[in-house]
Amino acid sequence: MIYLPIAEMPVNVLLILLVSGGVGFVSGLVGVGGGFIVTPSLIILGIPAPVAVATGLSQVAATSFSGIMTQTRRRSVDWRMGMLLSIGGMLGISLGVWLFQRLLGLGQLDLVISLLYLFLLAGVGWLMLAESYAVMRGRSHAGVSILRRPARTIAHRLPFRMLFPRSGLYISVIPPLTLGFGIGALAAIMGVGGGFILIPAMIYLLRMPTNVVVGTSLFQTLIVTSLLVIVQAKATTTIDLVLASLLMLGGVIGAQLGARLGARLKGEQIRALLGAILIAASIKFLTDVVVPPQESYVLGGGW
Amino acid sequence: MRRTFAALALLTLAAPVQAQRQPGDVARDLPAAVAEDRISVGSDYRGSSVTVFGFNPDRRGRGDIVVVVRGPDKPATLMRKRRVFGLWVNGDRVAFASAPTFFAVLSTQSLSNIAPAAAIRQYELDPAASAELASETPRGSTGADYRAALVRLRRAQGLYQEQIGVTNDDAQGAITLYRGGLFRAVVRLPANAPIDEYQVDTYLFRDRRLISSQRTPVNIARIGIERNIHDLANQYPLLYGMLTVLLALGVGWGAAALFRRS
Repeated sequence: MIYLPIAEMPVNVLLILLVSGGVGFVSGLVGVGGGFIVTPSLIILGIPAPVAVATGLSQVAATSFSGIMTQTRRRSVDWRMGMLLSIGGMLGISLGVWLFQRLLGLGQLDLVISLLYLFLLAGVGWLMLAESYAVMRGRSHAGVSILRRPARTIAHRLPFRMLFPRSGLYISVIPPLTLGFGIGALAAIMGVGGGFILIPAMIYLLRMPTNVVVGTSLFQTLIVTSLLVIVQAKATTTIDLVLASLLMLGGVIGAQLGARLGARLKGEQIRALLGAILIAASIKFLTDVVVPPQESYVLGGGW
Repeated sequence: MRRTFAALALLTLAAPVQAQRQPGDVARDLPAAVAEDRISVGSDYRGSSVTVFGFNPDRRGRGDIVVVVRGPDKPATLMRKRRVFGLWVNGDRVAFASAPTFFAVLSTQSLSNIAPAAAIRQYELDPAASAELASETPRGSTGADYRAALVRLRRAQGLYQEQIGVTNDDAQGAITLYRGGLFRAVVRLPANAPIDEYQVDTYLFRDRRLISSQRTPVNIARIGIERNIHDLANQYPLLYGMLTVLLALGVGWGAAALFRRS
């Protein structure tokens, strides 16, 4: 047991290391930052939602930096695209943090976080299950065809076009900026890095080649989460350094182990399992808001 | 036992003084003291307890003892859940201008037997009596509903406690009575109790009238690294945030470097 100075509660060190290690392992296995798993796990463990959101980000920052160290050696980051996404992300952060503070003041933050996670976990979980089911049934080629980048999307038609040499693209700057903005706002409210939205958006919307998608997404995630940690520390004092250290430690070790194992396992099975876990977690959030509460009053503004 | 004697020695010295703001016309001369005047919160903190010692000067041991351990008053908000489109959302918000953040009351028998309702309100012996509503309550509810809900919720968190009864042995319970008029009360402070200045009030009632009382402060404070982290986060938030990011980068880099070699 160790006492958390900001969350003002004692937690079991081994339990937190186990959870963050498990989240890191899964995120390394699948190739995502893991923010969308670590934050709800902390909330379910009883950490106040605002602290869970802000502190969970520090684990995402650590794992994404660890990932970039590996990715840059493979020259798989489109720096220009990453910068553009990050600029959008910074603007999104300002909106997100403002909303975070407003909701905190209104006493509705916990509810909004629960609702957003409900939709997010159920949505992403369902997508993963559906995708892996299709792959297992042998229709995997439908997924591969997007790699040929056959169609021109809206990104190719909008004005302010720019050359992205590493991705081999000449597209408008508006979609990356908008995308970054949305991810930044979501990151501030939910404590997620946003990779699980950013990666499909880069592939389907921007038509970026898959070999630069993961590295570029990690770069944007690192910038957004690092900045958010600093902004949240200043604006809401919800970063718990002791909890953050435990999360980072468990997270990076888990992520490295996960990445090693992930190279040897079948992706669709991992995705199916993760999808099922996410849907199970979303059911927990669903029951919180749908089942008639036994206690009809709730204390607000604790944070 | 050494703590017992220390507390006794302390209260014989402290007993006749203490001319603070007095409740009504009653002297604050009840010989009572707290064994812990300072409680430290370190990284191994898992809650603590406050031990109150006192002496009932009545030679035949008549009278009832009430011990109140109280945290600072802070504003609070309470919301009643409301159903919107099939979802239970936090609606109907009511603000309390001030409510005790921690409130434990221990008494030798139930408060209604010890003192009249007016006295319970006057001396704030009941947590509901010390919560002040700051706004109108929504239709279909009363201030009493919200007060009761506040007490219920905080009691579930262990922040409000009520214990009634007398024990004669060392069992932890409400108030332990020893031979010769000495009494002792132990209040458990859970880990989620706010870290702040507390106040311990001890009252002696006889024939439903307050005879004497005593007030002792207790300070709960962070020490060591807990204190450093908390101070840094509040006084230099920017630095604190950057430190967290640097730590994240360091840990990330360290892990990548470590696993590359192996």
